[in-house]
Amino acid sequence: MEADLQAQLAFVLTGRAGAGLSPIAPLRLRPAPLARYRALTTLRHDYPLVLTSAPAGEPVILSLSGLFDVLLGEVGVGTDAERLRHHAFRLERKIREAVAAGATGTLSVLWDQAERQLLTGGESLLKDSCARLRGVLSVDGEVVGCDRALPVRLFTHVWQRAQARKVRRMQEEIDRLARKLSDILGAADANSETGLGAERLRASVGRAFANDFDFAAMSQLLTTTRPVVRLSDVRRARVEHLLATLRSHSFAPADFVFKTLGDALEAHAQRLPGLTALANTITAAGLEIDGGYRDGAHDAVFEALNGRELDPVDRARFPDYLVCLNADTLRAADIAKLTEALCAGVPLKVLIQTDDLLEPSQFGDSHPSAGLAARKLVQAAIDAADVYVLQSPSSHLYRFRDQILRGVEFAGPTLFSVHSGVGEWTDDLPPYLASAAALESRAFPAFVYDPSAGPDWASRFSIDRNPQAEHDWPAHDLSYEDESLQRMSEEVRFTLVDLLACDARYAGYFARVPKEQWNGCMIPVAEFMANGPRGLPDKVPYVLMADSSGGLHRVLVDARLIREAWRSREQWRSLQEWAGVHSSHVERALARERQAREAQAQREAEARAAEAVAVVEAVPTAAAATGAAPAPVAPPEPAEAKPPGEPYIETLRCSTCNECTKINDRMFKYNQNKQAYIADLKAGTYAQMVQAAESCQVAVIHPGKPWNPDEPGLEELLKRAEAFA
Amino acid sequence: MTTAATSGPMATTSAVAGTDGRKTVTTLREHIIDIISDSGEGAQRCGQSLGAIAARTGNGVWTVEIIPAEIQPPARSIAGASGNRIRLGSRRITNGGDEADLVVAFNEQVLLGRVRAGELKPGCIVLLESAWREDDNPEIAASYAGTCRDLLTAGYRLYEIPMEQECLEIVDDPRRGKNMFVLGMLCNIYSLDLQLARDQVARTFRKKAADVIESNVKLLEAGHSWAEQHLDFKFAIPAAPVTEPQIVINGNTAVALGVLASGMEICAMYPITPATSASHYLSEIFERVGGVVHQAEDEIAACAFAVGASYAGKCAVTITSGPGYSLKQEVLGLAVMGEIPLVVVNVQRGGPSTGQPTKAEQGDLLAAIFGSHGDAPKVVMAASTIEDCFYSVIAARRIAETFNTVVVVLSDANLATAQTPFPRPQFDEAWVAPPVDQSAVPRGLKPYSWDARTGLARRFIPGQPGGTHTLTGLAHDQNSAVAYDPELNQQGIRARSLKLAAFQRTLAPPPVFGGETGDLLVIGWGSTRGAIEEAVEGLRAEGRRVSSMHLRFLQPLAPGIKEIMQRFKRVMTIEGNWCDRADEEIIDESNRRYAAVAMLLRARYLIDVDCWSEVRGQPIKPGSVRRAILERLDRP
Amino acid sequence: MSEQATMTNGATACLLRMYDEQHEIEDYQKGVPRWCTGCGDNAILAAVQRLCRDEGLRPEKTVFVSGIGCSSRLPHYMNTYGFHGLHGRALPVAEGIRMVRPDLAVFVNTGDGDCFSIGAAHWVHAVRYNMNLTVMVHDNQVYGLTKMQVSPTSPRGLKTNTTPLGAHLNPLQPLTVTLGVQNVSFVAQAVDWIPEVLYEIVRAAYHHRGLSFIRIVQRCPEFMPGALDPWVRDPQRVLILRHERGLKLSPALAQIYRNQLEHDPSNIHRAREIASTPDPIPVGILYHNPDAPCYEDLRRNMDQRTTDMIRRGLEAEFDKFTITSHGS
Repeated sequence: MEADLQAQLAFVLTGRAGAGLSPIAPLRLRPAPLARYRALTTLRHDYPLVLTSAPAGEPVILSLSGLFDVLLGEVGVGTDAERLRHHAFRLERKIREAVAAGATGTLSVLWDQAERQLLTGGESLLKDSCARLRGVLSVDGEVVGCDRALPVRLFTHVWQRAQARKVRRMQEEIDRLARKLSDILGAADANSETGLGAERLRASVGRAFANDFDFAAMSQLLTTTRPVVRLSDVRRARVEHLLATLRSHSFAPADFVFKTLGDALEAHAQRLPGLTALANTITAAGLEIDGGYRDGAHDAVFEALNGRELDPVDRARFPDYLVCLNADTLRAADIAKLTEALCAGVPLKVLIQTDDLLEPSQFGDSHPSAGLAARKLVQAAIDAADVYVLQSPSSHLYRFRDQILRGVEFAGPTLFSVHSGVGEWTDDLPPYLASAAALESRAFPAFVYDPSAGPDWASRFSIDRNPQAEHDWPAHDLSYEDESLQRMSEEVRFTLVDLLACDARYAGYFARVPKEQWNGCMIPVAEFMANGPRGLPDKVPYVLMADSSGGLHRVLVDARLIREAWRSREQWRSLQEWAGVHSSHVERALARERQAREAQAQREAEARAAEAVAVVEAVPTAAAATGAAPAPVAPPEPAEAKPPGEPYIETLRCSTCNECTKINDRMFKYNQNKQAYIADLKAGTYAQMVQAAESCQVAVIHPGKPWNPDEPGLEELLKRAEAFA
Repeated sequence: MTTAATSGPMATTSAVAGTDGRKTVTTLREHIIDIISDSGEGAQRCGQSLGAIAARTGNGVWTVEIIPAEIQPPARSIAGASGNRIRLGSRRITNGGDEADLVVAFNEQVLLGRVRAGELKPGCIVLLESAWREDDNPEIAASYAGTCRDLLTAGYRLYEIPMEQECLEIVDDPRRGKNMFVLGMLCNIYSLDLQLARDQVARTFRKKAADVIESNVKLLEAGHSWAEQHLDFKFAIPAAPVTEPQIVINGNTAVALGVLASGMEICAMYPITPATSASHYLSEIFERVGGVVHQAEDEIAACAFAVGASYAGKCAVTITSGPGYSLKQEVLGLAVMGEIPLVVVNVQRGGPSTGQPTKAEQGDLLAAIFGSHGDAPKVVMAASTIEDCFYSVIAARRIAETFNTVVVVLSDANLATAQTPFPRPQFDEAWVAPPVDQSAVPRGLKPYSWDARTGLARRFIPGQPGGTHTLTGLAHDQNSAVAYDPELNQQGIRARSLKLAAFQRTLAPPPVFGGETGDLLVIGWGSTRGAIEEAVEGLRAEGRRVSSMHLRFLQPLAPGIKEIMQRFKRVMTIEGNWCDRADEEIIDESNRRYAAVAMLLRARYLIDVDCWSEVRGQPIKPGSVRRAILERLDRP
Repeated sequence: MSEQATMTNGATACLLRMYDEQHEIEDYQKGVPRWCTGCGDNAILAAVQRLCRDEGLRPEKTVFVSGIGCSSRLPHYMNTYGFHGLHGRALPVAEGIRMVRPDLAVFVNTGDGDCFSIGAAHWVHAVRYNMNLTVMVHDNQVYGLTKMQVSPTSPRGLKTNTTPLGAHLNPLQPLTVTLGVQNVSFVAQAVDWIPEVLYEIVRAAYHHRGLSFIRIVQRCPEFMPGALDPWVRDPQRVLILRHERGLKLSPALAQIYRNQLEHDPSNIHRAREIASTPDPIPVGILYHNPDAPCYEDLRRNMDQRTTDMIRRGLEAEFDKFTITSHGS
């Protein structure tokens, strides 16, 4: 017993496998939670996907399974529903297998192939099922599996669809403007000498009336009795120029997919002048149509604008550029340049694909690089604050389809970071699983940063697509039977170590412990590192792994990997903080809010006790209900502000009835909102002041005390003034 | 079974008999056919189809709808006759003519209606559904037998035809199929090409399923061969092949197409018979070209809505009939006062009050000219043919926008539902209203800078910089400011009146039909044109020195009319509105009420213009016109 | 709001806006109002002129439509386009303008007789059409221009020239009627003697896309002198409806008008309750539904309209009716 533990501790601390411990490589082990996914093609999951060529409005991406569910929803009703279901799944599985085996093509093609293979037996029922399912199939498109090529294909597809929409919208706008501009010319011509010429007049009344008029007389009448207004040459020229520019434009967004940043930037630089011109033409046309174009002023403005770079709002309306890069081949220089371009707001849609996430770093092979290149880029992009960032492993791209769409349509640069899960070191795991595992282990978390989603981080940044995002590690219930055929069940947490355990390059950091040597000091990795990278004294960390026949094994882990796992957990925690999960700031804020609410409730109680008028009460109640701050304390009434005896008007309440201004429009004047104020006391008498107060419709004039003691009849006036004190 | 009442086919003047198989084919210059049934039995569709086939053949065609007064009259009721009159000729036909030469009736009651209305020529051929003879209801059977007897004694050529029985061999519900069977018979009777008929049936049911077309073609063929076998007569009406493409539509459809062609964007209306079908059709087609048919909450709102649109720069139209027109009068006055262009189409019906909604009359002319209170001069024109209905709206839009005035286009229930081919219009961009002028207003120009000589002014449209003003229904000065000074009101009314005179100066004298001089000049307006000219032509052929003149513009009247009238010994108008007969016991010059245009002409030209009119709700017949003219010619 | 405004925004647009001519309140004033001194119409005129200035409305792109009555003189005092039409018919005219001119700002000024009596049919249907119009009903509860006859909203017992023994019927409640019409989208009430609130409501109405109906309770010093004094003098008899999505009250006014009620304008049932309790006078936005469909949006696609489109439409119809000679 002791000896075993010694050996185990020794391995954990030194990495040297002593007696009893055996290397894992030959056993083709897998972390236990992944065990049940060995035969992936038999499972209905998101892949393969169908990149639909459906019209606008229809979904751009569909999962094969989802699609079949829809088909079943339409035909799979009635007595033979179960049969259809069964057959549908067989067909679906055939297609899935074909794609996994590397078949490519559109759904209709693959469907036909699969159907042919299935129907070798010539089952008439199956034939019928397929026919009926096919009958309701309305979409088609490339079917793609989860492989190295997937990210590029998927994003190119979505991007192209979005560009097409953009171009259509833009073209419609251009056409509309062109129509309105030609209307300007049309209206002018209608009022010109030719427009009112005998021939046009004759044509305009139609054949049947050709002999009922003296068109020469009519023309003469119309052109002499009222001024014929001509379109100024300047404006005509301008309108014609605008029209020409608008009509000369067309886009071909399909061309704007690039393999290197350089090419994209070059293309952008080339098109920029043209786009600026067009954007300004569109703006100018708008003004022209609205009749708002003022020769002198606006010529200058557009003069200035033409030199200037595109306003982001305009830029967003033009097609942008898709750049597909691979992190593994990316050099530091590229990253720097890319960062700069993104921050500069160049309309780029960048896809950076990471294949090998776990490549050991050059400084000691126990450090996986963990997609450093991509991470640096993502960090920089988020720092830039106005770049849309989405990170997801291939496995989850379908779940992120809406966010991908948003990203592609985002009015500004966008960065997509995708981990394909492809790599010769994990060849045992299909990319779908490998990338999913990367997500599970927090080594490649999924998140979205959408600058347009709201004013604050809470609404912009989200990690909720990660499994059990509120925990350090996602937990899985693992149930199995032990040799005594007892149903066992334990909770297993999936950590970075589990991911590393799948990578042949890290096999050396693991050692299998034979069942008879299992002991109480062995604890799961997650527990072991709960209190820090050093782990717990006289405990040994293990991961639970399964062999192809489902047998469970405990595998010891080299402490160096524990440190990596801990680092990755810390990174994950900082992500959580950003996303407001367990955010220390949030917790403080909540505490404050709680206090505020209690105080609020207190005040209400008092208010209720004090105030009797129900309506008045309604204010704080409602305020509390909506969680808003209590009603603002109003400033003291104007009256109190005034020194006693000085006449004044509650200007805010003046209803512009002209009474006072009629009495004396030098003493009483209107302000910029047409409400009365006392402009000049000396310009009038106290008598007028009192008279005004009396005639004021809303009684907002307060005469105060006389300013000229010698004015006659003061006594009587003062008496009358009392009513308005 | 067939019972030929009198023997031998009837021959008309100059009938040349040829032969086709055993039958003699009588060649005719023209023929009038009535097809009548209970409503819902498809007599109208049958008539329309016959008209179309004949038109394709190159015959002159005029079809008139025979419309029951109620929406759902009881079956087999005298008042319930629904169907078509089709007048076929070897030359152009311009009206529904006099009495029918041949009648197809689905039951004897609807037939009686026509007989009593005197719509059948003596000796008219009657093809009658014979099923009623064996009807289970003894009363019906009796009434049928009785009617047949009366018809025979009245000298009509009655053919009892087992239409229902024959149709039952092809369809289950003969009520649905009879009309095509009848169409087949008529095609045979008038020697019309069967294939052409088949095509027409296919066209008629183009929206229906293939089997529907098929069974209807079967019925058609059945009718055709039945007539071939059982009827002892056959006609041929020589046709001149159509040279240029023609379109066949009714007057309301023509109005709607005119609205489309004029480039107007807004038609504001409220449902009213017989105008509504124009808006129905327009609603189908208008939105496709960016137009809107707005059914307002009432006639007044419809007119005000149109005025709003016009004021904002898009000259609009409102389509209505008599009662609706009365309601619009105040708004029309506003349009006149504000000098807002507006087109009003009034499809006249019988009045006063609710009058005869489905019947034709020319009773709204004076209301159109003088209707609004105060002095509200506007242009009033009348469409006299179906082709006119199309072009009048185009011209009206042009006049309205050019002279900033209200233009009233008068049509009537006769034109509204009648169909005849006319040359397919060649679209001209100049028809279409120009875009809204949004250019800045030149300094110093006022919203009503009335030209001193003509009263014409340029109108400012919202959106035009420098043109801001408040249009008002109050008397106003050139700045559109409320006029408190009496002199200003004088100026404004003068300007609006002179404008009409100025427009009158652009009109050409109307053409005279017939000779330039003579004993009698007949003046008409609107839908009576075809009947009048046909009568005049006939009389001139008999050597009578009578001519006619048809007025398109009733307000203002074109120049030269007086000179024309002076070249004739006598002048009379023939109109579809009321005038007292001079020979009534209590009527004399001091109290006789003249027909509308007669009154206008007398007042304007101080010429003793007589008039004859009729308000029976039916289109005035060439025969009636002929009698009226003869009566006038022969009176000392 | 103009098409231009909706077309682009962002730096360029801002830059351009700097070049729009700026307007003072006087620029919207035309002539000298001929209303009686002390008339509430002056307050409404001031409010709309202030709105025009603050929203920078271009005079040539703005139309004030009215019917007949004291209220309907307002367009004559606006230096914009105006349409002073017929008694009761302001709304259909405004609808016609709106249907063909989305680029114009269209206001309607009407009165209790004009809108609730002779124009009642148009009132109900205008609310249903919900076209983008700002409608102000100057409701002084009496016919003024025709010299004091009873109006639909006259208080029962009011002695007028046509009811010397006092008005026989209870007044009509414009707010409940309006709120009862399907597709109603904006209903507010203001009083001429609280100009700030009047202005705020008119502004909210202007920004609402759809028909905004504002009933403005208004004093007529000439024919109903002092009739509203109990309400004018006692702030407690005005019930201010406040809400973050409705009317917000300045602290100063909140101090004067303490009788306030938090009312969510999206709640139509509550709005109907409030509308049916006329005293104290509810002031504020009773109902607001920004999503009610506008008739013009459902109907017009005139923007695509071209002569060629008309030609094609016409030829297509001609084809349907064309007959060519047999054989040919």
